[in-house]
Amino acid sequence: MERSSYPSDPDPVVEAYKKDIDRTLIRENLKLTVEERFRKAMALARFADELKRAGREAQSRKS
Amino acid sequence: MIDFDALLTALGKHEVAFIVVGGAAAIAHGSARLTQDLDIVYDRSPANLDRLVVALAEYKPYLRGVPAGLPFHWDRATLARGLNFTLVTSLGDIDLLGEIPGGGGYRDLLTEAIELHIFHSRCLCLSLDQLIRSKRAAGRPKDLDALAELEAIREERGHS
Repeated sequence: MERSSYPSDPDPVVEAYKKDIDRTLIRENLKLTVEERFRKAMALARFADELKRAGREAQSRKS
Repeated sequence: MIDFDALLTALGKHEVAFIVVGGAAAIAHGSARLTQDLDIVYDRSPANLDRLVVALAEYKPYLRGVPAGLPFHWDRATLARGLNFTLVTSLGDIDLLGEIPGGGGYRDLLTEAIELHIFHSRCLCLSLDQLIRSKRAAGRPKDLDALAELEAIREERGHS
């Protein structure tokens, strides 16, 4: 299987996107163990679900 | 909501041969992006299809995004007839992939995959470079931001 020549061929589009990446979040995650990263992701998903639920509830109160 | 802990434990308990790919693999490497499902590349050998069927059976796997009531039999024959399956289970959404762009199938990916020890189990996961190659090969506009983050992770880890 042919593989890309990464990392010798930086993609200018990806490089442009990279400027907006919040590296502080990455640095914090890299301090965690892999299991802690997954637990954090699950907590974030729970929070996102709760926000969605609250948003739907607020919308229904409004209408 | 996705329960990575329970899904990975179930697959590990039944000794399913698989490799974590996609957003979950990115999390393992330090991504801060939210992912809604577990993507795995699974070994297509008949014995492994049997293990996969048993491992997920109690979590009621069903095709995601199809009209309710569409007949779907969760068994080895169904898995053998298809390649990629996007499923909903009682533990969250899981995508079973026979192969991925830029990486191939389970056996192709084995050479570079890394071993994770998580949730009292062990599983294989794409290496960061494999993940980057796969995202690049997929070439989807929606992956550009994720790809940029993965390359930033690589830089932060001092690999560049």
